[in-house]
Amino acid sequence: MDSRGLSRMAAVAANTFRETVRERVLYNLVFFAILMTLSGLLLGELSIRQDEKIIKDIGLAAMDIFGTLIAIFIGVGLVNKEIDRRSLYPLLAKPLGRTEFFLGKFAGLGLTLLVNLAVMTAGVYTALLLARRGWGGLLILKGVYAIYLSLLLVVALALFFSTLTSSAMAAVGTVAMVVAGRFSDVVHNMREVLPAAPGWFVSAVYYLLPNFRTFDFKDRVAYGDPLPAGVLGLVTLYGVLYIGALLAGGLLAFRRRDLS
Amino acid sequence: MAMSEAPAVSITGLRKTFPVGFLHRRRREAICGLDLRVERGEIFGYLGPNGSGKTTTLKLLMGLLHADAGSAAILGVDWRARSWRFRIGYQPENPYLYDYLTAREYLDYVGRLFGIGKAERRRRAGELLERVGMAYAADWPMRRYSKGMLQRVGLAQALVNEPELLFLDEPMSGLDPSGRRMVRDLILELKRDGGTVFFSTHILSDAESLCDRVALLRAGKVAEVGALSDILRVDVSHLEVLASGLTEEAVARLPETVTGRHRVGDRWRLEAGGTLAEVVRAIEQSGGRVLAVSPVRQSLEEVFFREITAEEQKAWIPGD
Repeated sequence: MDSRGLSRMAAVAANTFRETVRERVLYNLVFFAILMTLSGLLLGELSIRQDEKIIKDIGLAAMDIFGTLIAIFIGVGLVNKEIDRRSLYPLLAKPLGRTEFFLGKFAGLGLTLLVNLAVMTAGVYTALLLARRGWGGLLILKGVYAIYLSLLLVVALALFFSTLTSSAMAAVGTVAMVVAGRFSDVVHNMREVLPAAPGWFVSAVYYLLPNFRTFDFKDRVAYGDPLPAGVLGLVTLYGVLYIGALLAGGLLAFRRRDLS
Repeated sequence: MAMSEAPAVSITGLRKTFPVGFLHRRRREAICGLDLRVERGEIFGYLGPNGSGKTTTLKLLMGLLHADAGSAAILGVDWRARSWRFRIGYQPENPYLYDYLTAREYLDYVGRLFGIGKAERRRRAGELLERVGMAYAADWPMRRYSKGMLQRVGLAQALVNEPELLFLDEPMSGLDPSGRRMVRDLILELKRDGGTVFFSTHILSDAESLCDRVALLRAGKVAEVGALSDILRVDVSHLEVLASGLTEEAVARLPETVTGRHRVGDRWRLEAGGTLAEVVRAIEQSGGRVLAVSPVRQSLEEVFFREITAEEQKAWIPGD
């Protein structure tokens, strides 16, 4: 993709971001603000070390849950809604390639999630300062970064499924993958419950499912355990490869699709 | 200059089938080996009843659908290339435009896809919205627009890049009389500036008043194509005469060349073959007076209905 292609992709991404803002997707931040304020008020009653942990716990869990919901339910409609409503037709007749459009939509929702996380992160830091627990350190940012990678993976999953089926079915498929990926250790230990399950099958399912536990550092952040750069590097590599494979698969299906 | 001599649109052996049935095991042929050539600088009408393949053809050309076979060149460039897309405009049928954007924002977005600079985008958006009569609502969110207003913005987006060739799918659909007139004026203006317009329509009178050439599409095939003067019978088929002072008996005695006799108040509207002199003489000899004479040509509508089957006629919605 040349610079003009990148510029068209950026235009699609900017429009997608604007759509999510105008469709009030970022209103979830209001709930987050209420949650953090209530937590702050209630935590005054707790012991000194507990309040810091709980603020981080609640903050990161809320980022994860709100972000995942946005990624799934906006993600499955990113491309399908444009096809169903035919808003895509005039655009694809212009010098906008399907690849640019598809990746632009992904980048647009990625930007929305980034802004969402940034505001929520600022909220967590503010809550920590208000609780007089210091500024919280860079460890929180590392945990948020891993959450962001997992959210991009959810968007890629949603986009992938939406190119194969309807938005409703894509949502079901994405939710199933996200839930299964969060309980990947259960899959790994499947043979303890189902001894008849072939080993190769269990391994295949375990390695094919996106392992969302890989991105989960909430406990380490809450307890202040360090997160070495090497660990984050491996998580990044895993995320990028998985996201890349899903986007490539989704793109292949989207490019072949008849828009009728 | 081979490029400038190439036709605006050239389609060869285009085929498209769609899967049908619950298991998609059968396929219905929507476009069956279509060949078509649209010359530069002409207004070309693409006519056909519902389901004849007009929109499918346009979608194939725009790359929204993948053809089973065939090829096309647009402005002399292979349709798989991207370069011609900088030089054309396309308005789909009943366009849905982003309802969370204003028309001005939408045109700005479209302009970015062409790589047009910010100041120029702003200028063109203002100018186009003025041109399609939407300046007053330029900053309203499009969710407040009526179907006709969306149609006008849909036309504006097709003109953002100042195209040499404009593809319009049912451009008059949903428009009020002033909107239809605006579209007609725009099409004629584009032709005056040397542009080419390829438009599909249900409204035969629009095609008759605008098109240099038309193609009549029937079940995915071109049934007839050519200049309107070639397709329409040039000779006058009959005369329509308005006469007064005739009694019922006198009208009954008129010669057999008078094939239609309709009373309109105290006057008679007569459809007559033969020469004008013969008709006038017959009326005057019967004590009548000729008030008006109109030569009647075969209309495009008549040609169209001659070409399509009775079953297809049922699907036809004149003036839709």
